[in-house]
Amino acid sequence: MAAPSQELLRSNPLPADTIQLSVTRYDPAQDAAPRQQTYEIPYRDDMVVLDALNWIKTHMDGSVSYRWSCRMGICGSCGMNVNGTPRLGCSVFLRDYLPGPVLVEPLPNFPVIRDLVIDMTSFMEKLSSVKPWVISNGQEPALAAGEHRQTPAQVEQYRQFSMCINCMLCYAACPVIAIEPHFVGPAAIALARRYDLDSRDHAGQDRLRTVTGSDAIWDCSFIGECSAVCPKGVDPAKAIQQTKFESTLGMLLPWGGVSK
Amino acid sequence: MTPENTDTDVLVIGAGGAGMRGAIAAAQAGRRVTVVCKSLLGKAHTVMAEGGAAAALANVAGLDSWEAHFADTMKGGKLINNWRMAELHAKESPERILELERWGAVFDRTEDGLIHQRPFGAHTYPRLAHIGDRTGLELIRSLQDALVHTPGVEVHMEVTVVRLLLAAGRVVGALAYARADGRQIVYSARAVLLATGGAGRIYRVTSNSWECTGDGTMLAYEAGARLRDCEMVQFHPTGMVWPPGVRGILVTEGVRGEGGVLRNKDGERFMERYDHERMELSSRDVVARAINSEVAAGRGSPHGGAFLDITHRSPDFIKRKLPSMYEQFLKLAKVDITKEPMEVAPTIHYYMGGVDVEAETGATTVPGLYAAGEVASGLHGANRLGGNSLSDLLVFGKRAGDAAAEFAGRQGKPRRIDKAQVEAATEFLMAPLTRPHGESPYKLQSELQEVCTQHAPIIRDEPSLREGLEKVLALKERAAEMGTGGATTRAFNPGWHSALDLHSMLINAEALFRSAIERKESRGAHARSDFPKLDPKWAQLNLMVQKGKNGEMTVTATENQPIPYELTEVITQSFQKYTPEEHE
Repeated sequence: MAAPSQELLRSNPLPADTIQLSVTRYDPAQDAAPRQQTYEIPYRDDMVVLDALNWIKTHMDGSVSYRWSCRMGICGSCGMNVNGTPRLGCSVFLRDYLPGPVLVEPLPNFPVIRDLVIDMTSFMEKLSSVKPWVISNGQEPALAAGEHRQTPAQVEQYRQFSMCINCMLCYAACPVIAIEPHFVGPAAIALARRYDLDSRDHAGQDRLRTVTGSDAIWDCSFIGECSAVCPKGVDPAKAIQQTKFESTLGMLLPWGGVSK
Repeated sequence: MTPENTDTDVLVIGAGGAGMRGAIAAAQAGRRVTVVCKSLLGKAHTVMAEGGAAAALANVAGLDSWEAHFADTMKGGKLINNWRMAELHAKESPERILELERWGAVFDRTEDGLIHQRPFGAHTYPRLAHIGDRTGLELIRSLQDALVHTPGVEVHMEVTVVRLLLAAGRVVGALAYARADGRQIVYSARAVLLATGGAGRIYRVTSNSWECTGDGTMLAYEAGARLRDCEMVQFHPTGMVWPPGVRGILVTEGVRGEGGVLRNKDGERFMERYDHERMELSSRDVVARAINSEVAAGRGSPHGGAFLDITHRSPDFIKRKLPSMYEQFLKLAKVDITKEPMEVAPTIHYYMGGVDVEAETGATTVPGLYAAGEVASGLHGANRLGGNSLSDLLVFGKRAGDAAAEFAGRQGKPRRIDKAQVEAATEFLMAPLTRPHGESPYKLQSELQEVCTQHAPIIRDEPSLREGLEKVLALKERAAEMGTGGATTRAFNPGWHSALDLHSMLINAEALFRSAIERKESRGAHARSDFPKLDPKWAQLNLMVQKGKNGEMTVTATENQPIPYELTEVITQSFQKYTPEEHE
């Protein structure tokens, strides 16, 4: 058996006893504009930003509002701007921001409901607009015939794009959304791409048109901020590039389908 | 503030796997469906499921059959399962998985392009359909994508139901509030489907998400429905133990399914002594108790657990089969699991107990009220097998959705909502806001978690359970004076919400302690040091919890329906052993 990890057993020296967080506070019913409030909390080496917020809420100020759920980077609820970069609060360590203070703000490019809580209604609409489901060719055999055959290699074609957890970090990082809020956006395009690359799908140009219907996709200049901030290693920038390419191909070739 | 009124045919409470599958079924039956969920759509606790969904597809082991799956489930549940649910589940899981595949779910595949299946604890054959170790995310995503294009479905996100409303002994609606602005909503409905999940957050160390506060159990109980097997709470054997901030977070059973071994601090593969036959792939209750015993005997890991080691597999294999685990340990614990063992210990994971339902329909004992998924009880008996939850959601989500739709179709025009009930529920809802500086819900919540952790642990005994119950009742009294932790605003007020959560948690905790005291034997997840043996007479009994005439909580032992002879034969039949080929 391998020896227990030295990393695991080591007690980390404390670089500081406390750390400061500057958290955005905003209640539209009472405040004219958002403001920052600073909290000084006990510091532990293994604390993530979400732990810090939970500590503040339980021990200092029960009114601080933010979303969270799973604590393990899979539900995508706790997106927030940490020192200016969109991150998941549960996956970003305070130790990377020593000695602080750590600036915690709501994700940009969304209306704020309260404090760090954003309004995601527009995103939910964008998601369903790209027809995120397998479109059949109308010749589905009965269930008893079993599953579609799909080889591991065919799964690999789109697997990466299926990892999206709808955390909104890519929308917060997207320079196009900032100017053109109607842009369907990185996650939705990645989702469209996920279905277009799926060997079970027969959408042809259908889904592609819903994505390229608005001009905004052409404003994307492949800056790649969306892919850089993605906590799950999805590459929406690649999806956007591929979509532009397919779309151009479709215009040139009238019979052009989506290549798989 | 006047409440907003909404009318629907089927009100689905909860948007995890069971709620979404139920909503799709009810809408496909032609009913208008409203789904309300406490979080945003797609964030429900189901999303955290890792290992897979159990279904006897027989894609990897041709020997597999519904009979084998049924027998495994009953034996795992130590025979107090609702056998009819176990039978339906074993027979229908394959169809529900294939359907999900048709809708577009991604699965790992065999070389032939079939859905791949991995081995898991106490399943005779490799049976878990999966995608890496993030199967829950895929299940949620596929159902969500299907839900949004099913005509007739409306989704109300971040809405919390506070009470069910009754008329002439039947459920006819619910009072809820919207978190975004605190407005009240009165739903009138012809049928209500509960799909709210479990109550793991009544413990301090849990794999459960923010959502799991037992809301549906509370709603059903308050409406007069019967709860069952509330003493049966599953400790998953392998949660993270270090660092403290991540204590309790799940380490998928898939690690052991893919060959991971457990060792104590002396390097001994201790499962040899607890289940020589199945070793690490024994049932969860057995493995959790084994780790517990090793720690108690002074053979635990540095932070009070055991070592889980998969380093004998190639780094490539590990990263492909267990990508989330690899990432999770690297990021959160600075441990590279391809090179070092993980440190793990039991964590509260699943509620086998919950609302008592009819197997075929998910009907509760209150007309018009249905339940499916973790909030319902019966399928898993005294111990759930890994992978049986995701298939449970699909099989019984659909069945309950169908039945609720059918029931709703038989109702005429909506019953009049009783004003007095709405007023009483509203008063209850608003109370914490009227005394913001009353007892802090955060403080009460953490005290409750301490009580459950300390007094209802893996091994229980009567004096400690009784002490726990007294403490819960004392907390209940203090909770009557609960505030919000200071804030009076209605918009996204987390303290207000926590106060409402706590009400559910206290009822779940009380039901747990009262039932655990009554079951004077050790069976599955319920282990008693004062009654260390399985008692055959208890195999015939389920404990039922119900609200008494004077509002007191009652517990009654009820004789369960005998297992038909032909199914008893299936359970006792011996299934041919599966010898896996090395699949690296």
